[in-house]
Parts: sequence; C-alpha cells; structure tokens
Amino acid sequence: MTERIMTGLIENAAQLFLLLALAPLVTGVIRTLKARLQTRRGPGIIQPYRDLRKLFRKGMVIPETASWIFAATPWVVFFSTLLAGLMIPMVAAEAPLGLFGGVLAVIYLLGLGRFFLALSGLDSGSSFGGLGSSREMTISALAEPAMMLAIFTVAIGAGSTGLTEIAGAAIGQNWRFLAPAQMFAFAALALVLIAETGRIPVDNPDTHLELTMIHEAMILEYSGPYLALIEWAASIKQLVLMTLLINCFWPIGLQPTWFGCGALQGIGWLLAKLLLLSCAIVLLETVNAKMRLFRVPELLAVAFTLGSLALVSTFLF
Amino acid sequence: MLMMPFLNLQLGDRIVTLMAALVLVLQIAMVTQRWIVLHIRIFAAQSLFLAMIAATIAWFNHAPHLYIAAALTFVVKVILVPILFERLVKRMKIYEQIEPIVNVPISVAIAGGLTLVGYVVAASFYRPDEPGLGHNALAVAISLFLIGFFNMINRRKALTQVLALLSLENGLFLAAISLTYGMPLIVELGIFFDVLVAAMVLGILVYRIRETFESIDVSRLRRLRG
Repeated sequence: MTERIMTGLIENAAQLFLLLALAPLVTGVIRTLKARLQTRRGPGIIQPYRDLRKLFRKGMVIPETASWIFAATPWVVFFSTLLAGLMIPMVAAEAPLGLFGGVLAVIYLLGLGRFFLALSGLDSGSSFGGLGSSREMTISALAEPAMMLAIFTVAIGAGSTGLTEIAGAAIGQNWRFLAPAQMFAFAALALVLIAETGRIPVDNPDTHLELTMIHEAMILEYSGPYLALIEWAASIKQLVLMTLLINCFWPIGLQPTWFGCGALQGIGWLLAKLLLLSCAIVLLETVNAKMRLFRVPELLAVAFTLGSLALVSTFLF
Repeated sequence: MLMMPFLNLQLGDRIVTLMAALVLVLQIAMVTQRWIVLHIRIFAAQSLFLAMIAATIAWFNHAPHLYIAAALTFVVKVILVPILFERLVKRMKIYEQIEPIVNVPISVAIAGGLTLVGYVVAASFYRPDEPGLGHNALAVAISLFLIGFFNMINRRKALTQVLALLSLENGLFLAAISLTYGMPLIVELGIFFDVLVAAMVLGILVYRIRETFESIDVSRLRRLRG
C-alpha cells in the first residue's frame, strides 16, 4: 500500500515538474518559430523563463477599487490549471490524478480558472478589463459546446470519460484516426484549442492595442508576481490543451506507465509531438490574419458543427 | 494469402471513408466562405478529393473504366471549370464579399442539420455485414446534395449559385460511384460533357445578367428589361 502511494507521489512530482518546466518552453518555441518564419530573429526560446523571473522579482500595483478577488485570482487560476494538468496523460497513459476525475473535470477546472479571470477583469473597475471579460466569456460560451461534443465522441469510442481509458483505447488501435468521426472531432478540438489559447485567428497573443485584446485586456491591471502567475498559468493551460489533443488522437509513443526506461522515450515522443503541433500552430498564425471579433462565432460554429458531425457519425456507422 | 483481398478492401474502405469525410468538410467550408475566389478553389479541392475517391474505388474494385471517370473529373472540375470561373471573376471584377441570406453561424448549423438528415437517410441503406468501399460515402453524397440545395437558396449572387449547383452535382457523382461502382462509361461521359457545357452556359448567362442589370444579384431580376 505504501509502495503504491510512493509511486503515485513520484508520478505526480514528475508530471508536475514537467508541466511547470515545459510550459514556458512551448510558448518560447512557438514565439521563436513564428519570428523565424517572419524573418525576424526573435527573442530566443528561453525568453519566457527570463520574463517570469523578472516579473517575480518586481513589486506589485493593486488597484484601490479591487476586492479580494483580485488577489485570489492568480492563485486560483494557477492551481486549477496545474490540477487539470495532473489529470491528463502526458508521458504515461495513466494520468497521475486520473482517479479523481476524467476529461469533464479537466474542462471544468480550466473553466473555473477562466471564470475567476473574468471576475478579476471586472473587479478592477477598468473599462478594458470588463471589455476583455465579456469577450472571453462570449468566446468560451461558444467554444465549450464544440469542445464537449468532440470530447464525447472520443469518450464514446473508449467507453469512458476517464482520460486514462481514452488514451489506453487510443493506443490499442493504430489506424483509428482515419475514421471520419475521429477526424471531425480532431478538427473541432483543434479549432477550440486555437480559441481557448488565444491564438491568432481569434485573439492575438502579442497585441498591444487594447481595442483588439481579449485575454490581455482582462489582465491589464496585473503586475509583478501576480502577472507572472497568470502568464505561467496561461502557458500551462496551452500545454495542457495541446497535450490533450495529441494524446487523445495521436497516442504514438505514449507509455503504459511512468516507470522503467520507457519514461525517457515517452518524454522524447511527447516533445516531438508538441514540436510538430507547435509548427502547425505557427504556420496557421503566420498565414492568417486576426479575425474581426464578430467573425469569431462563425469559426466556432464550424467547430460546433464538426463536433456534432463527429458524434453523429460515431452513432450511425 | 486468402486474407489479402479482404485486407485490401478494408484499407480501401478506410481511404474512401476518410476522403468522403474531407469532401463533406469542404462542402461545409463552402457554406462559410465569403470570398468568391476562395469559394471556387474550395470547389476545386472538393472535386480533387472526389477524383481521388473514384481512382481509389477503381483500384480496389478492379473497375478500370472508373479511372477515366476520375481523370475526367480531374480535368473538368479541378482544372477547366475553376479556371473558367476565375477568369469570369477577373473579367467582371466581383471582389465584394458574398452575402448569404441567412447569417453564417446559422447557415453552418443548418448545414450540420442537413448532414444529420443525410446520415439518417443513408443509415437505412447500410449493410454492415457486406464488405464494401466507403460505407459513409452514400451519407456524404446525400449531405452534399442537401447542402448544395441549401447553398443555392442561401446565396444571392448568380455565380455562387452556379458553384452550389456544381457541388450538388459532385454529390450525385459520389452517390453514383459509391453505389454502383461506376455507371457505364458512355453515361459518365455524357454527364461530364453536360457539366462542362452547363458551366460555360451558366458562365455566359451570369455575364449577361451582369451586363444587363449591372449586378449579379438575382434578387434584382424582378422586372423584364427590353
């Protein structure tokens, strides 16, 4: 019994470390690749770490009108995202905290973080914060049904909403991703990933123009360590969603457990797949211009339709 | 060795199923598209996948005359018709956006609903015990047909209506090749010639509408002009 607890603890610690360490790297790699593709030099892939270190050392300014929500939000966002990250299979098919909840728990933990971010945007009393919150909520209200439909398609295939079972079922069948249901679900989830992580057709992560901001507008009032926590949480969320996408649909290289020599191999595969997905995101961001906000529902309607088609085609064929 | 043909058929089934799904996705993409040139290119891509489906069925079913159908689809619908239409667009200088009658999110939702209808209708023809190629192809074909109709109703500009008609015809072609593994060659030749002529005639008609009414918006065609 103690042995099981020990292995569980080691798994948790390893995945926690991986999440914390890898998330800024993914953000950095995406930024650098994007800069290179646009023939800029770019700040280098470890810039997000430098940013975080700098922000953690700085002082903070807290608006006079802010309530306790303003102070609680960075912690809630950071820890809910981390918890969600521990519930997904990253290197091993068995998620460390898989016992505590399946994919629905992951989605709603991320939803909790988003809820608090939106509240804090309203809390500071600045008009841009409120604007950002309202936009974020509009987009997430449209993205969530599409995400649920896509996830349910995968869950029906695996016969469970537990991510361990989903990843396990995905490992079993090699050519499964050729089935139309899987492909529709993958496309829907990829569109949702773009919307949820604030990538270019929906939101511009590098924008400095308040009128076009979505995610950045909510966190305009944050500075110093709180901003660092939120930025870190945002990159962890991006990593969690990317991992969810690649491991549910493309489980090649996913190991059965964390132990043995397979773990290193599993980490290698994870890094390779993340790099590939990052390249795809970079390409998409470079060839597309940001959509007008009123066009975003069209994109998400497409995601929703794809998700429902996926669900329908699993049931009928 | 006895298993080999069956395995091959299974692989062919997967390929056809996948490509049929891509064709359906492109049809839905057409519903959302606002730029006419992109609309034409999506149609070309859809026809390309259709040609590939025909070639796959020909390969796995040993039906050589389907290669000719595939080649004709490629030449007519992937090369000739798109070039014809793009030249028409350039000549008429229509660069403004397509405005659907129902707004885009609702159109997409309706297209999704029509696909559902297509799948439900096709489900009654589905025989899981018979090994065949592309068991979703009929469902996709019916959906293409319904969405093509909807797209024709939903668009005001004559040229986009012609494109919707051609995508509807793609649905017919898919139904024909997936159900019968190819009609007699003479019938298919007739159909392709028909499509080409239809595209040209409709192209000229669109141009004349534009000349007479200074717009290709068909909702203006209410009064006779001498």
